[in-house]
Amino acid sequence: MEVDLASGSFAVNVKDLSKRFGDKVAVDSVSFEVKRSEVFGFLGPNGAGKTTTIKMLTTLLPPTSGQAKILGLDLRSEGKKIRQRIGVVQQQDSFDQGLNVETSMNLYGLIWDVPKQERRRRIDELIERFEMQEFRKKQVVDLSGGQRRRLQVAREFIHDMDLLFLDEPTVGLDPLARRAFLDFFKEKVKDGLTIFFTTHIIEEAEYLCDRIAVMNEGRIVEIDTPGNLKRRFGSAKAVEFRLLEGASKNLVKALSSSEVVNKLVLDELSGTYRATTSKPELVIPELYRLADKLSLHISSIYIAETTLEDAFISLVKNGSGNDSSHVHSGESYAAASPPRGSFKEAE
Amino acid sequence: MNIYVRLVYRNLRANLDRISLFFELVFPLFFIFVQGFALSELVTPFDIGNGRVISYQLFLAAGAITLTVINSGTNAGTQLWYDRKNGMFEQLLMGPFTRLQYILSIILATLIIGIASSLLVFLIALPVLGGALYLSLQSVFLTGLALFLGTMFFGSFALALSVALKSSESFNIVSTFTFFIFLFTSSVFYPANKAPPVIQSVSLLNPLTYATDLLRAGLFDSMTPFISTELTLLTVETIVIFTIAVLAFRRIRV
Ligand SMILES: Nc1ncnc2c1ncn2[C@@H]1O[C@H](COP(=O)(O)OP(=O)(O)O)[C@@H](O)[C@H]1O
Ligand SMILES: [Mg+2]
Repeated sequence: MEVDLASGSFAVNVKDLSKRFGDKVAVDSVSFEVKRSEVFGFLGPNGAGKTTTIKMLTTLLPPTSGQAKILGLDLRSEGKKIRQRIGVVQQQDSFDQGLNVETSMNLYGLIWDVPKQERRRRIDELIERFEMQEFRKKQVVDLSGGQRRRLQVAREFIHDMDLLFLDEPTVGLDPLARRAFLDFFKEKVKDGLTIFFTTHIIEEAEYLCDRIAVMNEGRIVEIDTPGNLKRRFGSAKAVEFRLLEGASKNLVKALSSSEVVNKLVLDELSGTYRATTSKPELVIPELYRLADKLSLHISSIYIAETTLEDAFISLVKNGSGNDSSHVHSGESYAAASPPRGSFKEAE
Repeated sequence: MNIYVRLVYRNLRANLDRISLFFELVFPLFFIFVQGFALSELVTPFDIGNGRVISYQLFLAAGAITLTVINSGTNAGTQLWYDRKNGMFEQLLMGPFTRLQYILSIILATLIIGIASSLLVFLIALPVLGGALYLSLQSVFLTGLALFLGTMFFGSFALALSVALKSSESFNIVSTFTFFIFLFTSSVFYPANKAPPVIQSVSLLNPLTYATDLLRAGLFDSMTPFISTELTLLTVETIVIFTIAVLAFRRIRV
């Protein structure tokens, strides 16, 4: 792959990019770079500005202000050249009205000027890979939402590209199909493809992305690797346990004064204690020792690892990240343990 | 392969509604074989210009061919409308083309539909048109020009409508409604210069009148200076509406 001197090895280079719709600032002065052959993720709740950013970078929407280079090409003046080298899977459905699955892939390849033989080969390959055999002759309008999504993603791989934009590509897919997709993307990245990926599903971002930009209300709050985000913004580790006896004031007192426990909170509803600590391996023997002394019985215990979801929520809730301010947060246990799988699509 | 060939082929394959296309063909045939036939006993043959006297059935047969043109024009709007509804509009705009290439591909596809279906109607109507046809280089040229300008005008018109009207319902209602206005105030069913003054003045502003008169002039060698003026007006109107359609299209918000 050619390396552009002006933009180094960046596939995407964005500086202070903004988009305003009337009074509404959808994207607010974002800056970032995507390296070649990297999976770069935009993670953010609905309305964060992910789609608007993609629409600008794919030349669909003119930016209100700011600069961007895509594959070393200027976004404003070299739109067509950019479009020749990118692929896009939109968040919204896109399909051809009166065609069946195979024909619609074939026509899509044709408008991309892929030679006939090559189209044939790739269609067969993709249909097999994405397990679309049983509906390859079906009319596109008759497909289920998930099947249509598979077609839409598979179709994009008919043509060659250097950079692929995927806007929430796995919406509506079952877990198996989703995993198959993500693995397929990973293979393509190994072969040199660069992927710009948006999602509101945290596990997905963590599984696929080399780096993640957390986006909220049009701004990029933080950019880092999933591991670093967890380390920097996840709440500290905690030991969670329950007692057969339920609540015990004495234990709370004893454990709270222990040096290895940063904070101890009791969730009244479930009767679960959460001892925040950086050294769970020391808290556990201490806990058993104290329980023994107070004649209490521990019914369950486990170490809660910090998750990307914790990091994400603390970033989105608290705006810009400030490493230390989050480590000792978790005033109440309920707030520190958000409902799993939040940020479901509102529509 | 050329970019327009690829896009036009795709538009024709993906966005044609075969059922409405079928009825667009059947409709004019009714005018020729049922209405024209029924009325030709009532209406005495009359002079359509340049001393050419033809029967009402012949008169209407020519009108029915331009009717095909306006009908096909609406296809341009439908193509765009399908692409917008199905998300292909954005997808194509992020593809390796320009907006202009995309809109021209719609117009070109419409021209192909328009000219092909009018030729088909023409062929089917040949037994009726029969010996009255006048064949010369000029007649072929005028006939072709009428079909080309007519399709361009109504194709661009439908495109502009499709851009302006967001929902399919309003596009369908408004395009059907304007279709009837264009149709019944044109010279498709009656010669404009023999109509009452009010209708006559509306008819003489109607591009469908120009296209129809021009087509008759080609088919029956009835060219007059007045029809030359109509040709000029039709050309100007077509350029104007085409420009409007392209400009409107380029400003579509995504
Ligand atoms: N065409 C538009 N006109 C007005 N507001 C828009 C338009 N497109 C997006 N927005 C607004 O911009 C914000 C960001 O939207 P979007 O980029 O779609 O977010 P995301 O993809 O992260 O869910 C939202 O508040 C949305 O309502
Ligand atoms: Mg979105």
